[in-house]
Amino acid sequence: MSKNFFEVKNVDFRIGGKTKLKDVSFTIENEGDVICLLGPSGIGKTTILRTIAGLEKINKGSIELNGIILSSDKTYIEPEDRNISLAFQDNSLFPHYTVEKNILLGTERNNEKKEKKINLKEIVDLLDIFHILNKYPHQISAGEAQRASLARSLVAQPDLLLLDEPLSNVDQSFKEEIQVRLKKILNKLKITTIIVTHDSYEAFYLGSKCGIILDQRLRQFDDPYKVYHFPNSVEVVHFLNRGILIPAKVTGENSLENEDLGLIEGNFIKSYPKGSDVQLLIQPEDLEHDDNSNLKLEVVDRKFRGTNFIYTLKTLSDKLIPVLVNTHHHEIHEINDKFGIKRPIRLEHIVCF
Amino acid sequence: MFRFFNLWFISSLLVSIFVIIPIFTVFTSFFENTSDYYELLKNTFLIEYITNSLILLIFVLIITFLIGTGTAYVVSFYTFPFCNFFKWAIILSFAVPPYIYAYSLTAFFENYGTAFTILKNLFGDGDYNKNIPKFDGMLGAILSISFSLFAYVYILTRASFLYQSQNLIELGKNLGFSKFRSFYKIILPSARPAIVAGLSLVAMETLAEFGAVDFFSINTLTTGIYNSWIAFDDLAFANRISFFLLLFIFALFLLENLSRRNAKYHLNVRSGFKRKEKIKLSRNKSYLAFTFCFLVFFLSFLFPLTQMLYWTIKFPENLFDLNIFILLKNTLYLVSLSSFVLILFSLLSNYGNRVSKSKTLNFMSTLSISGYAIPGVILAIAFITFIAWFDESIVKLLGFTSIKKIFIGSILGLVLVYFVRFYSLAFNGIKSGYEKINISVDESAYLLGYSKRKTFMNIHVPFLRNSLLFIVILISLEIIRELPITLILRPFNFETFATTAYISASEDLLEAAAVPALFLILIASSFILVTSKYILREINE
Repeated sequence: MSKNFFEVKNVDFRIGGKTKLKDVSFTIENEGDVICLLGPSGIGKTTILRTIAGLEKINKGSIELNGIILSSDKTYIEPEDRNISLAFQDNSLFPHYTVEKNILLGTERNNEKKEKKINLKEIVDLLDIFHILNKYPHQISAGEAQRASLARSLVAQPDLLLLDEPLSNVDQSFKEEIQVRLKKILNKLKITTIIVTHDSYEAFYLGSKCGIILDQRLRQFDDPYKVYHFPNSVEVVHFLNRGILIPAKVTGENSLENEDLGLIEGNFIKSYPKGSDVQLLIQPEDLEHDDNSNLKLEVVDRKFRGTNFIYTLKTLSDKLIPVLVNTHHHEIHEINDKFGIKRPIRLEHIVCF
Repeated sequence: MFRFFNLWFISSLLVSIFVIIPIFTVFTSFFENTSDYYELLKNTFLIEYITNSLILLIFVLIITFLIGTGTAYVVSFYTFPFCNFFKWAIILSFAVPPYIYAYSLTAFFENYGTAFTILKNLFGDGDYNKNIPKFDGMLGAILSISFSLFAYVYILTRASFLYQSQNLIELGKNLGFSKFRSFYKIILPSARPAIVAGLSLVAMETLAEFGAVDFFSINTLTTGIYNSWIAFDDLAFANRISFFLLLFIFALFLLENLSRRNAKYHLNVRSGFKRKEKIKLSRNKSYLAFTFCFLVFFLSFLFPLTQMLYWTIKFPENLFDLNIFILLKNTLYLVSLSSFVLILFSLLSNYGNRVSKSKTLNFMSTLSISGYAIPGVILAIAFITFIAWFDESIVKLLGFTSIKKIFIGSILGLVLVYFVRFYSLAFNGIKSGYEKINISVDESAYLLGYSKRKTFMNIHVPFLRNSLLFIVILISLEIIRELPITLILRPFNFETFATTAYISASEDLLEAAAVPALFLILIASSFILVTSKYILREINE
């Protein structure tokens, strides 16, 4: 018996006879942990959840929950016998029942077995769905339907909760608030949860671990800080779309040099021999703005992000570099202006490939 | 799980076999020797059969197109007095099958008929017969069929107008088009797939039409099949004519499927649906619209209804001669038995398709619904042919007693052939009900700990209840109106409203046909009233 609460071991995930993901392994160590799986649409994230729920079968590897094998090439437990809850991305409420009845159905299975850690009212308040309780699924919006099925999954208090893009249809303005509430309730109920999403901020906020799925593989599975700051491959960098890679030459133990930016100092997270040519990751918050600097680059784009601006600068060798600037910075630079970058350039972590 | 799989598989297989039998029989009979009549008939009648069927088809298509799209256009885009009434009243024309329409036409316009009586009462005695137009023969058949079937075009076209995402009239105005120009430049093309689908249904029904055509003694492929069976007792020849008719229908079927693929795509823009403001017509134009709709409603429904009612009142002895109770009992018996079997099998194969996602199963279901395209006459004759062959070559060979009596001239045989004919109605009805339940609903149920059986009983059945009710009523409507299958396969002395009307009419006792015809219209109308909301696909906000 493994000591992990939940474990996926070398599984090929398949749907409709087609292999979507190969040789995937990850674990959830403790009961109550929340992990997130991130990846572009169509990559097979939903397939992972469906397979864990028992709606798809596997013929390689194994899936274990609490020491019991749920699926393997030999074993298969029917979905109705797994006590795993899956909140679908699309509306999966029972169309002929009201929202309230739909949610109550979630409690049926565990009525006697489990002590009630949470009551319906609490969940209803938390997800703000009181006003739709007496409505039928066809009378409510997509976002409301999503919250209602979330509520149904939560009241079931399953051994494992699977959320497929749980907030994709929720209004942007309301989304962050729901995320906060969701995190709180998952913590409180200690429900082990796997959340699938394509929104990296949602994943970083909700998950204690994040998996990045690209090109049929689980590329990186680590805590959000590490995924964000120390992406382990060029593909992950591109997927998170957080910065660019520029060519550089390693000049010392703590330094490297780029033809446009000059000397760059910082701590390598992986050491390279002096003189090697590498691709250096520059993220928006890596470079600092300084109007008085003699290193000036041309502004080609400016995005307003509320609390900050992201300027896109063009180097002499035609690379586009993002730089984040606080909105309160007094001077706004227009397109085609010159934009100064503080020297010497010091990076917290130097990520190279 | 495997046990269930077998059940669906067997039921789907069974249904497919049922449907393939008539087609197969017709096909093999084509290469069989027939009696000498064949050569004779081939050179003389066959050309006539085909020509008549074609003439009938073309004119019915033209008339149903004009009336069907015309009423759909007026009712969908404009408000005028009683427009909400006409919206559903127009489909009441379905309650009058072509043969009853044919009786009404004859009863009204014949020498010394109802028209004559009206004129006499208004203007005194006179020689009116010469001046009263006669709607018989080909013209009568065309009119009877058109007025009975145009509602197919009306319903589908109207639905397509309703689901347009934009107000097409406003769009036309914006482009500076006149009303007429926007009608044929924008509105008509936008509903084209729906119109073609409606017309294809009309075409199939027209080619399958038996009662009215037979009443006016027009030799078409359908009556040819019936007559060569009943008059010449030549099943093989009947099946040969069937082969030609099936070729026609196959072509139509392809056409309809091609256009329906578009229609489906067309109707998919559900979310874009908005209740559109209708345009208010000026006083004169609204009278015009009213008159048009009223005329259509009157001619297609009120006229045959009142004619049958008038005769029932005028010759009340016919009412007492007839045992209405027995007819009603027989009709209800057939309807409930057939509905039960149809619903049971179509639920099974729909559920099987949903749960197993098997391609073989899906293919079999597609095959199974093709029975609808085969005219009742062909189905009935082919069924007899098959049973006779099976009896001769297999049952007798094995030394068992003849099974003919079990299947021919029995309720079982009748219900079996109804089953083949109306299976698509039940199957598609349940299918469209199922399409409204997301597959993830089933999966959620499993994840909530529901077994497959509990999911079916607690989730599917309650949700499908309305669809099931609707299907039962549609099946009933079809069976009540159905003539050729019932006529050919019914047990001795077992009559329905339809067969009683037909027999009286074919014995030249039109007055006696009025009573069962009237009851038929009344029962069918009440069914239509109950389901009009479904048929019109009304959307309740």
